[in-house]
Amino acid sequence: MSSFLWTSGHLGWGVFAIVVFSGIWLLLADLYWRLRTTRISRFLLALAVGWVIGVGLIMLLVGR
Amino acid sequence: MHAGKSAMIRPDACAISRGRAVLVLQIFILGVLAAAVAATVLYFPNPSPLIRHWLPPRKRWPERQIRGWLNSGKYQRSFLRHFYNDPERVVPPGTSLVGPADGLVTSADEQGGIRYLVIALSFWDMHVQRSPVAGVVVSVESLGNEFMDGEGREFAFIREKPCPVQKRVVIATDAGQIAVRLITSVAARRIEVWVEEGQTIERGQRIGRILLGSTVVLELPANTKLLVRPGERVWAGETPVAEGLVAS
Repeated sequence: MSSFLWTSGHLGWGVFAIVVFSGIWLLLADLYWRLRTTRISRFLLALAVGWVIGVGLIMLLVGR
Repeated sequence: MHAGKSAMIRPDACAISRGRAVLVLQIFILGVLAAAVAATVLYFPNPSPLIRHWLPPRKRWPERQIRGWLNSGKYQRSFLRHFYNDPERVVPPGTSLVGPADGLVTSADEQGGIRYLVIALSFWDMHVQRSPVAGVVVSVESLGNEFMDGEGREFAFIREKPCPVQKRVVIATDAGQIAVRLITSVAARRIEVWVEEGQTIERGQRIGRILLGSTVVLELPANTKLLVRPGERVWAGETPVAEGLVAS
């Protein structure tokens, strides 16, 4: 797990991937919200579920 | 002995420098991302400059943002560029009257033998008005006494008082006279008229501009056949809005 946070003199690929994914997810969500008319509750739910799935996949792939 | 030692050190030094290079790259990527997220948060609920280009005008500059600019008198340069946009228009063949403005037809009611085709312009519409017909400008009148909202409703524009500030361009054609009213609102307080009395104008020719969203009314003889209905969008100089202009 320690290599997840820090490895070989740089940030661990796991934490790096999670931060980058979260940032891009937020930017894309903002763009989608402006382009499409959608109920805010449904949108926030989809946003949260998508983020959890994305982070879960990163943990599975990088955290192994 | 020395050679063996340096051979043992070299891979470590290489790994450290590679680690540093990766770290620098990671910090750079995170910095760019952090700047993008910060811009999104700072500009919220308005769109950040990063995504503005991908949005249609109505979403790019939300109404609340434009109303804020109206109060402060400071506008975003890209919005002003969009606002002063004056594209060429292809006038359709034929003798039909073309739309005098870009906008939404809100009513086409008749009063006193005149049909008033009311076109509401939004902040995002092109604001140059065009002549619906070829003819001669008979007069350019300045009317009204107040900047108001609801200037296109219930014939507010032909009331004695309070009446919205407006310019009325009367155009004489072979088949009778028509008039175009360029009407201000609370937001739109300036009108430029680019034609003068006695000037011969072409169908679809630019006649003026209202600065920021407002209303344009086309006055027609009541017996003119309308080709558009309330709720439809029209484009200045391109959309046929009426036909059968007959001298009365």
